[in-house]
Amino acid sequence: MMRPVRAYYPILPVLIGYGILFGIGQMVPGKWQLISQLAFFCALGQAFNLFMGMTGYVDFGYVAFLGVGTYGMAVSIYYLFDKGLGLTMIVIGMILAAVFSTLLSLAVGAVALRLRGAYFAIATIGVNEGFRFLIEGARIWNGSDGMIFSRHMKTAFGRETAMALSMKWADVIVFGVAFLAAVMTLLYMRNKVGYALTALREDEDAAKVMGINVTRYKLIAFITSAILAGLLGASAWALKLTYVYPTDVFAIHYTVEAIIIVLLGGAGTLLGPIVGGLIYGVSKYYLAIVLPGFQLMIFAPIIIMIIVLFPEGTVGILKKRVFGTPLEKFII
Amino acid sequence: MIFEQLSGNLLQGLVLGSVYGMATMGLSLIFGVLQVVNVGHGAFIMVGAFTSLMMFQAAGVPPVLAIPVAFAIGMALGMLFYFGALKPLVSPSGSGIKSLDMRAVGMGAGILVALLVVMRFLSAAFKLHFAITLFVAIIFLYGFLLYIYGGRRQDKAPELATLLVTFSIGVILEESVKQLFTSEARGFNWAIGKLDLGVTVLPYTKLIASFGSLTIAVLLYLWFRKTRAGMAMRSVVEDDVGARVCGVNVDWQYALSFSLGIGLTVTSGVLLTMFIPVGINPYMGGPYTLKSFVIAVLGGLASPYGAFFGGLVFGLVENGSYTLFAQFQGLEPFAMTRFFSFVMLLVILLLRPTGLLKVK
Amino acid sequence: MSLLRVENVTKRFGGLVAVDDMSFEIRHGELMAIVGPNGAGKTTMFNLINGVFPADEGRIIFEDVDVTRYPAYKRAHLGIGRTFQIPRPFASATVRENIAIGGMFGAAGSEISVDRAMELADHYIDIIGLKEHRDKPAGGLTPVEKKLVEIARALAMKPRLLLMDEAMAGMNPKDIDEMVAFIREIRDTEGIAIVSMVEHIMRAVAGLAERVIVMHQGALLVDEPTQEALSDPRVIEVYLGQPPEEAHA
Repeated sequence: MMRPVRAYYPILPVLIGYGILFGIGQMVPGKWQLISQLAFFCALGQAFNLFMGMTGYVDFGYVAFLGVGTYGMAVSIYYLFDKGLGLTMIVIGMILAAVFSTLLSLAVGAVALRLRGAYFAIATIGVNEGFRFLIEGARIWNGSDGMIFSRHMKTAFGRETAMALSMKWADVIVFGVAFLAAVMTLLYMRNKVGYALTALREDEDAAKVMGINVTRYKLIAFITSAILAGLLGASAWALKLTYVYPTDVFAIHYTVEAIIIVLLGGAGTLLGPIVGGLIYGVSKYYLAIVLPGFQLMIFAPIIIMIIVLFPEGTVGILKKRVFGTPLEKFII
Repeated sequence: MIFEQLSGNLLQGLVLGSVYGMATMGLSLIFGVLQVVNVGHGAFIMVGAFTSLMMFQAAGVPPVLAIPVAFAIGMALGMLFYFGALKPLVSPSGSGIKSLDMRAVGMGAGILVALLVVMRFLSAAFKLHFAITLFVAIIFLYGFLLYIYGGRRQDKAPELATLLVTFSIGVILEESVKQLFTSEARGFNWAIGKLDLGVTVLPYTKLIASFGSLTIAVLLYLWFRKTRAGMAMRSVVEDDVGARVCGVNVDWQYALSFSLGIGLTVTSGVLLTMFIPVGINPYMGGPYTLKSFVIAVLGGLASPYGAFFGGLVFGLVENGSYTLFAQFQGLEPFAMTRFFSFVMLLVILLLRPTGLLKVK
Repeated sequence: MSLLRVENVTKRFGGLVAVDDMSFEIRHGELMAIVGPNGAGKTTMFNLINGVFPADEGRIIFEDVDVTRYPAYKRAHLGIGRTFQIPRPFASATVRENIAIGGMFGAAGSEISVDRAMELADHYIDIIGLKEHRDKPAGGLTPVEKKLVEIARALAMKPRLLLMDEAMAGMNPKDIDEMVAFIREIRDTEGIAIVSMVEHIMRAVAGLAERVIVMHQGALLVDEPTQEALSDPRVIEVYLGQPPEEAHA
């Protein structure tokens, strides 16, 4: 199945991009918070793009996967902290996050992925709200009171390690998830999955006639994207913040941010989410200083502008520009 | 005991359901004519609720009289968003955009950066003022680019595009209302007496809202059946190519049905405040979007009358399930009812994506 | 042994019977045409054979496998290929990728790697003569080029039966002659059965079919060699001799 190494060159700019970002974060004092925020946006875009960009389907309830992933990590620490497991607990938390998001994506995907375009969107729009209300309504995992586990972390790991985990290692994992998402995207693009997804994105009926089991490939992309989101929730939210409230982790505005990032960078491209994540992250950071609370009001018209005027996004346009030049091999 | 409670709640549900039905007719109308799912649906309901609230608070106008105002606001917003955002994507005559020139992108980015820099040096006291300036500048820039690059494109934009655009329209409305009125929940009290039915008590406001919904549904029906304009719109639903051949201006019908649909939706926001005059906030639309989708899918998505009956069914199911969930210890019935409506949506889509009710 | 056997197949849409108790066979490597006026049920018949929707009654047997309930992609794996009347290449993918997708997921798909499919695509690009457009997005091609890409994409699937939907609609006479020659040639080189859908019988005479099935109002009218069908009074009646009030049905 593996393709020649040349086909995987585009991972280099990704590696360099994240490398520089990580380097700046480590070298420049006081910028780690901003950098880790940027890495979160890149990772969010990268994971979201794997489904939306590659299939052309939009999942408005996407944040639910981050939400259940957050709960995966939270549950692990909250209930296992006194079992003497040490850092294995973090691994268990990541596994639980992946399992929860897989289960949710299977449940939603089984219904929604049989449906086309508009009906898919309708089926997903309530997923995050629905899940939030299940947790609140049935009082699962403390219901609307949430779970606060900073005390549990200090008991389990000691004060120093607990601090390092939430201040530093959580962000390092976010970088890891972002890179993993990029690797998965490129692997899919270069193998049959990617070609099947391109075909079904362009014309689902024609794809079926070509022998493509469209539901299967949509599900593959959906589950992969969901697992990545779950891992992101487990690291960037649970481990970093050490608490979880249902109203926070199922808030729809994270879906909005994911959409903005993917469209800014270029849906269906490998580098797009990084570019989009950086543009969005930096502008959000400065908007928060000059105009707190205004970022969505400013970005929502920008989404419309991008869709109407340049649906290919930044990297999509760049890709056309470098076509036929040596750079072509690196930018997709 | 439980049966008395249940029958009382079901009666309440039926009355509320008629308003739900009316709140979904606009969604179905827009899907029927334009094949566009208005993902920002709930935000328009919110606009209606704020219209009702503001008129009552500022001038003591009873919500009934806010109905025509809300309808006019809705029609205007509909026209604005149709021509400003949706037309390039869905118009059958294809007034889309040619591929974009890099110079324009650079220029746009330049203007934005310049604006940001200017704002950085102006003091924080002018925040709102400059936010609005920036907002207007983006809109202006957008219109300018649309004007320069407005050409014709052959293929229709993918469905993804209209979903994301209507979603963004919802976000714009929510954020604008938040900036104007803050995100705190507000309420008002319009008390005009109650009707005691034994099993339950119905305030007259609810009865008026229900009656209003029914009237609007009947008027819409008559408009579709008896007027030239209504028949032209129906012909577009049936077959837009055929309609064009017969001399119907399909482009204009798209604009008209979108704004009519938005007008109905904003109006329904007023009617809903007669039921629930509290908790009015910029983000109140989300749950209504979900409910409306359940209702629309129940009724077959493209049929406004199906939506109306779907609303009645949904009102019954919602209040019935609330009563049942309330019987269980350890459940919060309000949250469970909302979870239940989400499950219901998935189940209906699994069984019959084209709708459970057969209403033409 | 026949390649495809259609047995008493019926399909209804609401009250309308689109295909009415059709039975016929397609033999290995034959050139055949399904002929009939607009609304005769040809497209529905094609959709039933390649599984766009299932039949209400009857059976469809492809190489001894009962495929009546198979979804479209499984039938493609068995070796049923299809082109559309209005060509539908995957617009953003290049010509080469389009054709390679056919190879990757078609009848031999499970054994073909992405790189092998690309080589296969190059082979078919040579056959259709679009070498200079190899790395261009298919969305920017002319309609005739798109049609060729679609045929190449279907051929890369290595089908044993290729269904061609109105291959020559909207073409000028010169292009039609070239297309007919091309279709005959691929039948000979690939050794596959090709069934064309044709609105008017005169097109079939142009050498596209050795045998024709004429459909009329959803039902089978005649199934015979092309030359005989041309002079068959029943066929002539369908095309020429109808009383005017029925002609619009």
